[in-house]
Amino acid sequence: MTWTRAPIFLLAMTLCSSLAYADDDDHHHGYGKRPKQLSVGQAPAVWKTECASCHMAYPPGLLPAAAWQQQMDTLKSHYGSNATLDKKDEQAIRTFLAAASAVNRLPLEPSRKAGEPPRITTTTWFVRKHDEVRAEVWRRQSVGSAANCLACHSGAEKGDFDEDRVKIPR
Amino acid sequence: MKCFIVMGLLLSASLAQANPALLKDYEQQARQANPAFAGFAAERGKALYFRESSASGKPMQCATCHSSDPRQPGKTPAFRPIEPLAPAVTPTRFTDSKKVEKWFRRNCDDVLKRECTAQEKGDFISWIVTVK
Repeated sequence: MTWTRAPIFLLAMTLCSSLAYADDDDHHHGYGKRPKQLSVGQAPAVWKTECASCHMAYPPGLLPAAAWQQQMDTLKSHYGSNATLDKKDEQAIRTFLAAASAVNRLPLEPSRKAGEPPRITTTTWFVRKHDEVRAEVWRRQSVGSAANCLACHSGAEKGDFDEDRVKIPR
Repeated sequence: MKCFIVMGLLLSASLAQANPALLKDYEQQARQANPAFAGFAAERGKALYFRESSASGKPMQCATCHSSDPRQPGKTPAFRPIEPLAPAVTPTRFTDSKKVEKWFRRNCDDVLKRECTAQEKGDFISWIVTVK
């Protein structure tokens, strides 16, 4: 590479790497995979009624497709609860989850507890994103636990976890 | 005669609206399971709601999530609010048999680690419709 071309090449490299992060507000690189596409597009009504009655509607982009498959294969004991569905609803939800998580390349990380499907809140990415949140915060009455994204992220069900809009309740 | 009509009206007025076909179905199933079936009893339904079971590994009741007062909202273990269970407060409760069956299936397994019998379901509905 000649002296005249190198700066252009360097500029192009910088632009390319900053564009690669345009889809979220995470400007750290080299920390491992992060979700792509957290916004939830057209979701079937059955996903909302069946998967959001006991907990918030977790955007499928938060886990790899393989993790959602494990969830759907173990609904009889879904983190200790029976979350079984009728066959038609189950199929519609499987299809939706697979399609809505297809774009990410997140690693499949088993839950820390044996016998349960992967947990969003113990993935490397989640733990890193929340590493400044003190243990006491999770235990607050107004928060409950890390599973309750809505306590601090009011736009969570739309896939909006923007740091600028985080409000941690007292 | 007038007395009976008035009593009848008062009785039906005091019951919140659940789908009567639901109770008929459970009655049929209960009779099939037990020829000596002698009807549903609200008292048994109430006892079921508050019965504590450790079958799941930790002590739980229906009331644990649905509140000790079914006229109040409940809360799931993941902190999601649950609309009050009493049809007097939430009129859509116990009207859709598919929905009712689905939640009996899931939640009886959660608390009791088994299915609820048609007798138990009928007893429970007979009670919850009287909760004002």
